[in-house]
Amino acid sequence: MDRLTSFEGFLTSVDRDGAIAETRALADASVSRRRLLGLAFVGAGATLVAGVGEGRAASGLSTSDVSILNYALVLEYLQASFYTEAERGGALTGKTAEAAHIVGSVERAHVTAFRQLLGSKAVKRPLFDFQGTTEQPQPFLKTAVAFEDLAVAAYKGQAPKLTSKAVLAAAVGIHSVEARHAAWMRGLFGITPAVNAFDQPATRQSVNRIVASTHFIVERPEMRRRRKPEFTG
Amino acid sequence: MSALAALTLVSQIWAGLSASDRPDETAASAALDALPAAPAPSLHIGRPEHLASGRYLSRWTIVRTRTIARTEPVATSSPVASLATATPDRTPNALTVLRTTTDAAGQLWVKVRLPVLPNGTVAWVRRHSLGAYQTVSTHLVVDRQRLRATLHRNGRLVFTAPVGVGTDSWPTPAGSFLIRSELTRYASAFYGPVAFGMSARSAVLTDWPGGGFVGIHGTNEPRLIPGRISHGCVRMRNSDILRLAKLMPVGTPVTIR
Repeated sequence: MDRLTSFEGFLTSVDRDGAIAETRALADASVSRRRLLGLAFVGAGATLVAGVGEGRAASGLSTSDVSILNYALVLEYLQASFYTEAERGGALTGKTAEAAHIVGSVERAHVTAFRQLLGSKAVKRPLFDFQGTTEQPQPFLKTAVAFEDLAVAAYKGQAPKLTSKAVLAAAVGIHSVEARHAAWMRGLFGITPAVNAFDQPATRQSVNRIVASTHFIVERPEMRRRRKPEFTG
Repeated sequence: MSALAALTLVSQIWAGLSASDRPDETAASAALDALPAAPAPSLHIGRPEHLASGRYLSRWTIVRTRTIARTEPVATSSPVASLATATPDRTPNALTVLRTTTDAAGQLWVKVRLPVLPNGTVAWVRRHSLGAYQTVSTHLVVDRQRLRATLHRNGRLVFTAPVGVGTDSWPTPAGSFLIRSELTRYASAFYGPVAFGMSARSAVLTDWPGGGFVGIHGTNEPRLIPGRISHGCVRMRNSDILRLAKLMPVGTPVTIR
């Protein structure tokens, strides 16, 4: 079975008409443009981008915001699926099991909220192969720390690109929750919850590289075939 | 310092400031009022979503790399079967996941139900040879006495239909199995419009092409249903198998009794 190596790979695979890729390029271009303008016209820059043909998608959202929200949704799918599989598997105990239960229930609420906001524009849930990391306590915690740290950095990286302040307000609210999760999982794993005076944001490229290294996003196996059966009849 | 003492100290410092040192409270209040209200978040994050009981869920996976199934979750235990990555239908080789464990060396093992004779054989496979876990909430029951199939989703009946099953000479095997493939658009009126591959095998027709696997499919002889008419497969009227195909995903566990 082929393994998709990145969020980008997954988004491309479901983005049949190229709309997501197109709007992402637009979103990235808008940020570059703002940088060129010395970040002096953040509000005006958003207006300018809208003025050059940026469409409207779900619930009046700009297409660039839809792209970013779908990107965040895949990240939320990743986390929610991870904790759900861990809880269903039953290999965790004590405080780790409690954390998986609570954090998982929050990540599932995030998924629901993103899907409701995006409506028909929401990307479908990918298939994840966590390769046993949900089935043993230490690999679970190590992966959970990585996911939560990644989510915090990814939200921070995408927030400045959002054109809607209402979406930004929601993203900031989720970002702080992910930071609490990161601290919780770090504490359980036995490492310092907060070490830096300033957390660096993660670019989409760096998030992709990290996720690609896990091989957790996999292609859904094709269980249907056009083929005459050889059953006993 | 207690909180009360700290508060008292802050009050004393504040009182000690001359009027000219104090910020203009009126101006400060006006400035605060002039600030735009924070935008309402566009996302409504609902209450945390706790998992349902999972009582009706079952897990399945596929064989990702060729592997040996063993009697115990230990690398040195006896081999039970070699598992290929594909079925005779050329679909990924799906297995029911029963449970997992970790051996003394820290390696993960998964207990699975095997598509081998005798039907019902279970064995242990290394986790890294398997793919993603997938879950279904459906369950198909084939009752050979009543000649009827019923599909439940989350414990609720969603489908029932009369079936044809194996004759006394070529019986439909009883046990717990898995729907592991869905075949369509083939040119064979005998199998009807849709055929589901199961992990069940005929104990009699072992030299049948493909290994004698038993399936669930349509028919070109609907008048024989219900009845004991097949070589072990479960046959349905074409309208019923088409209806079932819309309701039953691959990975659904099957109980034949």
